Amino acid sequence: MKKLILSAAMVAFMGTAHAADPKGADTPIKIAVNEWTGQNLSARIAGSLLGKMGYKVEYVTAGAVPQFAAIAEGSLNFNPEIWTNNVGDIYPKAVESGKIIVSGDLGLEPREGWFYPPYMEEKCPGLPAYSALYDCAQAFAAADTFPKGRLITYPADWGTRSSEQVAAIGLPFQPVAGGSEGAMIAEMKSAIAAKQPMLMMLWQPHWIHADVKLNLVKWDSESADCLAGKNQSKGSACGFAQASVKKIINADFAKTWPDAVKFVNSYSLSNDVQNALIKKVDQDKVKIEDVVAQWVADNESVWSGWVK
Amino acid sequence: MARISSSQYLWLGLLVLALILHFSPGPLGAFVTYPTEWVVSVTDQMNVAMRWFVDAFGPVFKAIGWLLEWPVFAAQKILAFLPWSVTCFIFMALSYLASGWRLALFALAAMLYMAGIGYWAESMNSLAIVLISVPMAIAVGFGLGVFGFYSKRARRIIMPLLDLLQTIPAFAYLLPILILFGFGTTVGLVASVLFAFPPTVRNTILGLRAVSAEIIEAGEISGANARQLFWKVRFPAAKSQILLGVNQTTMAALSMVIIASIIGGTNDIGWEVLSTMRKAQFGESLLAGFVIALMAMLLDRITHAFATRDRAISSDEKALKSWHLVLAIAGAVWLLSLVVPALAEWPENLVFDPAPAMNTGLENFILNWRLVLEAIKNSAFFFVMLPVKIGLIQAVSPFTWGFALTPVLSFAYAAALVVIAGFALVRARAAMGVTVLLIGATLYIGLTTMPWAVVLAAFVLLSYQTAGARLAIGTALGLGFLVIIGLWPQSALSIYLCGVGVFICFVLGSGIGIWAAHSQTVSTIVRPVIDTLQTMPLFVILIPFVMIFKIGEFTALLAIIAYAIVPAIRYTEHGLRNLPPDIIESATTLGATPAQLLFKVKLPLALPAIMLGLNQTIIYGISMLVITALVGTNGLGQRIYIGLGDGDFGVGMTAGIGMAIIAMIADRITQSVSLRKQQALGLKTEML
Repeated sequence: MKKLILSAAMVAFMGTAHAADPKGADTPIKIAVNEWTGQNLSARIAGSLLGKMGYKVEYVTAGAVPQFAAIAEGSLNFNPEIWTNNVGDIYPKAVESGKIIVSGDLGLEPREGWFYPPYMEEKCPGLPAYSALYDCAQAFAAADTFPKGRLITYPADWGTRSSEQVAAIGLPFQPVAGGSEGAMIAEMKSAIAAKQPMLMMLWQPHWIHADVKLNLVKWDSESADCLAGKNQSKGSACGFAQASVKKIINADFAKTWPDAVKFVNSYSLSNDVQNALIKKVDQDKVKIEDVVAQWVADNESVWSGWVK
Repeated sequence: MARISSSQYLWLGLLVLALILHFSPGPLGAFVTYPTEWVVSVTDQMNVAMRWFVDAFGPVFKAIGWLLEWPVFAAQKILAFLPWSVTCFIFMALSYLASGWRLALFALAAMLYMAGIGYWAESMNSLAIVLISVPMAIAVGFGLGVFGFYSKRARRIIMPLLDLLQTIPAFAYLLPILILFGFGTTVGLVASVLFAFPPTVRNTILGLRAVSAEIIEAGEISGANARQLFWKVRFPAAKSQILLGVNQTTMAALSMVIIASIIGGTNDIGWEVLSTMRKAQFGESLLAGFVIALMAMLLDRITHAFATRDRAISSDEKALKSWHLVLAIAGAVWLLSLVVPALAEWPENLVFDPAPAMNTGLENFILNWRLVLEAIKNSAFFFVMLPVKIGLIQAVSPFTWGFALTPVLSFAYAAALVVIAGFALVRARAAMGVTVLLIGATLYIGLTTMPWAVVLAAFVLLSYQTAGARLAIGTALGLGFLVIIGLWPQSALSIYLCGVGVFICFVLGSGIGIWAAHSQTVSTIVRPVIDTLQTMPLFVILIPFVMIFKIGEFTALLAIIAYAIVPAIRYTEHGLRNLPPDIIESATTLGATPAQLLFKVKLPLALPAIMLGLNQTIIYGISMLVITALVGTNGLGQRIYIGLGDGDFGVGMTAGIGMAIIAMIADRITQSVSLRKQQALGLKTEML
């Protein structure tokens, strides 16, 4: 078994409420902690509740893509927040071979699409309808895209849906790959600081929505099986299919912690809950442990059903 | 009137070929853009091979990984157990014993910073990995260096291996290491050893070979056996050069530890940098990044000072006593920390956080200087980068230059080039004339829009002229491989971006290096700056540039320059400062002016070191390319990133090998140019 080292020895003992410890209480459940605050909250709330059930919990930092190898081989046991739109190659293979088990949706409802700061509505009055973009492409133009408008898309390794969409509906925009999330957010912040034109492929829940107001471009219709860039045209465009957020455990989880599986299956969080908590951590600079403890203390009616 | 040599006719022929292929290729279109249906993809085969390898040898690697984890685990436990005050004191004592009060004060400041900024635990976790990986890397590097020094055959294998390890970007081999060794701290450890040992090998060989024959002879006359000859004669004489390698190894290990934290598994300072970077928290990521730079400077100064001290003192009884004293005081500090909790754990209310102020400052700066910044970016883009990339033919438009490139203007441009070339020819400078025509044509057509066959032929011709038929064949095979597997368009983009970056680095870096070699003040200012630049996590270097200049190639170029300029400065200064004093003296007594001394004596003599610097600048520039993929540049770097994101070994590895091929060709050409220059000057050849 690999030793995964933690600085602050984040092992939680909170099993006092229970007379008898559940099966597997001695083996720590290793929960993956990824790079973004929302996932950290999902992970720590789950960890704190598992602690209340009498389990030991360890939080282990893990990169969003490398973690799948670790979960498949059992170095990590649980991640409550997997975005299915950015999982690489290892994840579907591991799910198929049964090394990773998907235990339902977390309950977050991601919104993906083209976002813009509200001041762009003054420069392009028809917004948020996408049809307005045809006439005011120049209001979104930059030196290297002129006369076309500039659309910041996801980094190239996250797929090319925005570029395909632009081509399909014949929009006079030049897609520019965002490089990385950090670069995209830096771009968005600096554009807003200088009130410069901006249109960017982004997603929700994301902490930036707690920081600045952003509006979403609206399409003609919405549907779950809408494929970006496929069978869409000017006048009948549905935009992007929305991703889903899954909870996953490793193959041996149910054997080692049979009672914890019930919790994992029923655990859920909504966009509103997560956005509010993200804001507390990232904006109000409250320590994440305190935010989680506060939420757990205030919402017993919400989670009491999950830990039975 | 000068005669045009046959090789110059070849270049002119190539020029004509480029123009024909570009403007009317006719049936030769396949030599302009390689047809996609001719592409032979090798990524699938590579993935199959990797899977087979993992199935066959996976358990062996897993076992090694498991073993390697224990020393790191132990180091982390110890560092986490010790109160911060004790660790701080030990580092101060080490610094004092190594060098003196100034370094001890620096150690105190650095340690207080780590604790005060609230990153103590994370810092110690990173330090633990570095403390284990640096000695391993130095041991491997020194061993291979000595082996390579004694065996020419070994050197033939080692040198390309070093190039591969340093040029296949870190990201590309993180994935195979992850697949082989499993998730966890081992990935960072293995990656940082692999990435960090090559400088020690290089400098060990360079240092040992530079030991003058007279010294060896003196050793032999006094009856030294082979072992004594090595440890008492060669090694001490080569020590200063070897230490330069150790220094670079330490820096490289640290920066790799940061890159490897993208995998996760350890709650270290690199993870902190990455997650703050992800959130574009400029202040926070810079503050965390600074911890790494401080750590690097401290380790560098301490090891350096210890190694340069006289051996006699360290084995002295007095030193032993001072070690006892250090341990005694450390114990006392530890006992004290049991009573005073603030000495055990840094009090939370004393944590200071300047990050919000830094973020506001940057935002204000961008707001106030927006127009100026925009102008800088646009002129660099319109007048330098775009012409090199896509040629004047596309870059000149009313939107960019303010006018269109009419046929008349094109004709005038061509005429001007011909006139200049003709003038050079009349003045007996045929080579210069041909160069002007070639550069002029390249700028007109553009590097990435140049027919691939012409670029390939140009590199082969250049290889042949500088190093001979063998390199020419190697170049043809290497670049041909990239064309056939369909990576040429990405390769051309990488060559363009890196080429512009390296050119600027070399001109600027050598200039600063020369200045620093002649002025102690400049040197004292420059050294910590370049140390910081080299050890700052590459991601952190990107953030301020991307905040100011936005996503795109200009930001990427600045990041490449910020990183790759370091060896150009370092090697130039090192080369100029370590010249034989008797030659300088005799030149001065002969009445050479300072300018003559520099250009006629010092620079030619320092050429081997400067060329090693250029060599490293190219390698650094190429390794930065993969990081610039994070700000949206295309090319080979982006492919590696895609490979890591998809867990696709083949895609990442082919792109990594592509970068290595380009780097090695550039490396061999620069080495050969240097060699020929030295021979022309009648110098002793000092080629690594």
